Amino acid sequence: MIRQLSIFIQNEIGSVAGVTAILKNNNINLRAIASFDTPQFAILRIVVDQPEKAKTILIDSGFAVTVSEAIAVELDDKPGVLHDLLQVIADAGFGVNYIYSIVFRNGKIPLIILNTDNLEKTKKVLLDKGYSVAEQEDVL
Amino acid sequence: MIWAKEETLPRQEMEELQFARLKETLKRIYDKVPAYRKKMDAAGIGCEDIKSLDDLSKLPFTVKQDMRDNYPFGMFTVPKKDLIRIHASSGTTGKPTVVGYTRKDMEMWTECVSRMACMGGATSDDVAQISFGYGMFTGALGLHYGLEKIGASVVPVSSGNTQKQILYMQDFGATLLVATPSYALHIGEIARDLGIDPSKDLNIKIGLFGGEGMTEPMRDEMHKLWGSDMKATQNYGMSELVGPGVSGECLELCGMHFNEDHFIPEIINPETGEVLAPGEKGELVVSCITKEALPLIRYRTGDITRLFYEPCKCGRTTVRMENISGRSDDMLVIRGVNVFPSQIEEVLLNIEEIGAHYEILVERKNYLDSMTISVELADESLLDSYAKLGELEKKIKFNLRTVLGLDAMIKLVAPRSLKRFEGKARRVTDLR
Repeated sequence: MIRQLSIFIQNEIGSVAGVTAILKNNNINLRAIASFDTPQFAILRIVVDQPEKAKTILIDSGFAVTVSEAIAVELDDKPGVLHDLLQVIADAGFGVNYIYSIVFRNGKIPLIILNTDNLEKTKKVLLDKGYSVAEQEDVL
Repeated sequence: MIWAKEETLPRQEMEELQFARLKETLKRIYDKVPAYRKKMDAAGIGCEDIKSLDDLSKLPFTVKQDMRDNYPFGMFTVPKKDLIRIHASSGTTGKPTVVGYTRKDMEMWTECVSRMACMGGATSDDVAQISFGYGMFTGALGLHYGLEKIGASVVPVSSGNTQKQILYMQDFGATLLVATPSYALHIGEIARDLGIDPSKDLNIKIGLFGGEGMTEPMRDEMHKLWGSDMKATQNYGMSELVGPGVSGECLELCGMHFNEDHFIPEIINPETGEVLAPGEKGELVVSCITKEALPLIRYRTGDITRLFYEPCKCGRTTVRMENISGRSDDMLVIRGVNVFPSQIEEVLLNIEEIGAHYEILVERKNYLDSMTISVELADESLLDSYAKLGELEKKIKFNLRTVLGLDAMIKLVAPRSLKRFEGKARRVTDLR
């Protein structure tokens, strides 16, 4: 499992930049970022090299932040591999809440980050099927 | 046409009638309502000290808080079994303000509304569409009974479902519309959007507007939409006093004639409580002198206005009150519903997932009031999913609706992003 930050941001010009500015000023390295075009506000999800430090600094700067776990799976860069992964999860009866990715990993293969109704069981199903599930230190 | 002879009484005769009725009512209240008796005793005033109408100013005020403190029936002078109707309006502390009517009260109320409708041009030939919301609010049923008494054909369509409102107007040939002025403008706009010109294709010639004030620019808009020949009058009332029918405009449009044989108006300085001279601007205070169930004495309405005693060209001699120009408190009127910011605060403070700060924005969009409440997210654990944030938004809306009887839009914002105030917080922005 890896640790991700979920940050409440308003749908205003510069709101994501407000978060990245704080990360930059504190020398925190951003590994993945995801947000969607919601009307009023958004949950910005990020994976960073120092999640606890990032959380503290963001909260001190007035953000609502929570740290939670997510599954990160290594996937080869080939057609169909994401489908195979999702089919395994669907067959096990779990719903995927959201999904995003880490592409740049200093030469290592990309990671797909996902959240389901039951992280522990999903992880076990994936391990049983031979998938490589990353831990926090793997994203550094 | 003038509905009742009481509307044209010479001033002295009116004052004699008022004084006799005040004495009788006051005695009954003193005997039956411990809360008001206590106030009179504390002020050292007895019923016998009221020797003329001028002595009215010696009596203690009744305020909305008295109704809350004596919820639900403590201010009533009759046993509950004598009531034939109970209404309520939303309350500041979750408890509504309860009002009740005996059979005689219903007759009086109906009579007052008939006078007011007649003043505004209504006759037995009218088909009257009532687009106030029916229910616990007094507006719709008050107009309903008064217009029935006149002999108009009442169409109790209630508020909302605007397209159907327009359909009924077309098919039933409605000639008279009862609505808040903003809703009447909205209906007109929607009709236009549907390719129907309200001034030509609909037959509405009379508008009896209430529930909120109608400014002169709004009346101009009304004429533009519904036709320059529309008789667009407004009327005034509040449930604590009786409901609609306390006062209303005649076609001369020079203020709202008070039903003075039932209600005595005074204007006071809201700071000092001192009675002001005719024509001076201040808070309207009203005494009910004929009600059986709930006769409030010197009730502080919170509405700022002026009174004019000169006889009107219409032939009525009753005092006229000017359009309400403001409030002595922070009450907002939103789509005809009275809302105190303290009610909103009470709801918000009971929801743990949000912070203590909030902002209320009131706007008018397409002639309809809308209220947006910004609240700060305090519970980070909800950031797990949009669904949880959505649930929170729903919960806030639901709780507000329960207390206010009104839908608000909720804007979740980041913690500490709302303005902080060092002195008195200014949380309400009214852009109407």
